[in-house]
Amino acid sequence: MTTATHAMPTRSDLVRVSQHLWEIPRSFRDDMRAPARLYADEALLDDALGDRSMEQLVNTATLPGIIKYAIAMPDIHQGYGFPIGGVVATRLPEGVISPGGVGYDINCGVRLLASQASVDEVSPFLAELASLLYRNCPSGVGVHGVIKLPDAELDEVLVEGARWAKDHGYARQEDLQHTEEFGTMPGADPEFVSHKARERGRGQIGTLGAGNHFIEVDRVAEIFDQPAAECLGLFPDQAVVQIHCGSRGFGHQVCGDYVARFQTTVRNYGIELPDRELVCAPFESEEGQQYFHAMACAANFAFANRQVLAHRIRCSFEQALGGRVPRFDLHQVYDIAHNMAKIEEHEVGGTHMRLCVHRKGATRAFGPGSAGLPGDLRDIGQPVLIPGSMGTESYVLIGTHGSMQQTFGSTCHGAGRVWSRARARKTVRGQQLRQELENRGIAVRTGSMPGLAEEAPQAYKDVSRVVDVVSRAGIGKKVARLEPISVIKG
Amino acid sequence: MQHFQEIEHTADWAFRAHGRDLAQLFANAARGMFELQGGVGRGETSVVRRVAVSGVDCETLLVNWLNELLYLQETQHETYSRFEILEISDTELRACVHGRPSRPEGKLIKAVTFHDLQVRRSEDGCEAAIVVDV
Repeated sequence: MTTATHAMPTRSDLVRVSQHLWEIPRSFRDDMRAPARLYADEALLDDALGDRSMEQLVNTATLPGIIKYAIAMPDIHQGYGFPIGGVVATRLPEGVISPGGVGYDINCGVRLLASQASVDEVSPFLAELASLLYRNCPSGVGVHGVIKLPDAELDEVLVEGARWAKDHGYARQEDLQHTEEFGTMPGADPEFVSHKARERGRGQIGTLGAGNHFIEVDRVAEIFDQPAAECLGLFPDQAVVQIHCGSRGFGHQVCGDYVARFQTTVRNYGIELPDRELVCAPFESEEGQQYFHAMACAANFAFANRQVLAHRIRCSFEQALGGRVPRFDLHQVYDIAHNMAKIEEHEVGGTHMRLCVHRKGATRAFGPGSAGLPGDLRDIGQPVLIPGSMGTESYVLIGTHGSMQQTFGSTCHGAGRVWSRARARKTVRGQQLRQELENRGIAVRTGSMPGLAEEAPQAYKDVSRVVDVVSRAGIGKKVARLEPISVIKG
Repeated sequence: MQHFQEIEHTADWAFRAHGRDLAQLFANAARGMFELQGGVGRGETSVVRRVAVSGVDCETLLVNWLNELLYLQETQHETYSRFEILEISDTELRACVHGRPSRPEGKLIKAVTFHDLQVRRSEDGCEAAIVVDV
């Protein structure tokens, strides 16, 4: 199998479907099995055409069993294999599952916790709180030390996810209710996880990791939808916390194991692909099932990881604010995944179909009344958490009927990069950026100044613009806007 | 010729490695990967690891080799700076890697990908452009 070089899509290859929706027809390339669609306004469209993300989107439209379209969200940017911000659904039983369509950080996601305290009440103790969060979370040393899991207990984490955390005092029942899949991804079987994945994951539960992962203390700056905000327990000037991280080395190893293995699997099934990172297997095949079982283990590892981090954040709040600030306790608003393949039922052309929905840098956004939502959220739809770039705003949205009809219940996941990491490092000095953020009253704690520079806000698109597009296109509804008051990075 | 160069990539890191033959390409790719993560430190190396990997073709072998080094880096808490390729074919590799204990500081590579990967051979030697997930 060789890597083919294809023509990059240009503006003239795009057909405008509606104000914020563009299509590359199937006729663009012989190997496309479906058209490719992008949600964007004019400026975001230019960004998407500025790197190789549209070519990568077209590549995903070649996956066997793809249904309707390969979809890209307005925060699309160049990834590897799939673009970041891509959604591809394949029809079962004949459709495929692709490990590269989930990515290395399986179940990377975002969790939002909300206190009942105002930012004014928390601010006098913010420096101490930020230092405690940094000490307790990124390294995994934590308030109770490193969690090193023996094999039998690691198996429990892989099968139970956040439920394991509840059994060990790291979670409350309502946390599970407000987590995608209720914190336990079905289908997990540790038998299909390698020894190496276990070794990498064993000591990493409750750790943040580096890269674009973070903990952020935020202020609820604006409410767009009062009834939905009330339902989620959000109010103006409230102090809330976001966690962004995933399955750590465990997930990276699971993905790497199966991408390497599937290099021969695609040959066995006679599947031809334009990029080796897109390797896949029929979902119902032995190989496809084995990857799915292993991926579900990594998803559960990530749910447990974010849950233990949430516990450590609660402990940090208690240490910093206990006896000083009333109502500092944190309730869980929701926890979402934005790198995952899920088996879901969707209505396509009037028929209910069982699909394998890949979301790579895209968030599930189920509308009101959908199955899989807890009773208290069923009427408003699923909360969707959209972190912006560091130091800028973030959004809370809810899923809509539109997202169910147009995008297999999916929406955007963040701001999306526009600068390469190399350019960000050359342009921005970490120390200077930290000072700028501190001057704006944002308490920054980080282990790496070059790492901070790579995540500079200038390196990302404007998250408000991204959210406006999904909102106008009807695939997400704005509930609240958050502004950071403290950023903690590994 | 410089043994590797970073190339532009929006979300992740990418670099091009060269070598007069396959063995040197693989050693330079490993060196590039560790240098991108913040350098390999100075002074004498103090640990030696033996590595054996296989793959169905040259590209798979390259990805498996680099991912094996990331696995060792993460689980042994070590950084490697010297890569002795003892035996190499398109599908098998045996090597000794030399490094030192090191706790990660800052950015770490999550994984090496197959994206657009092709080992190109010419009269001048071998070359590959490698995209890594960070």
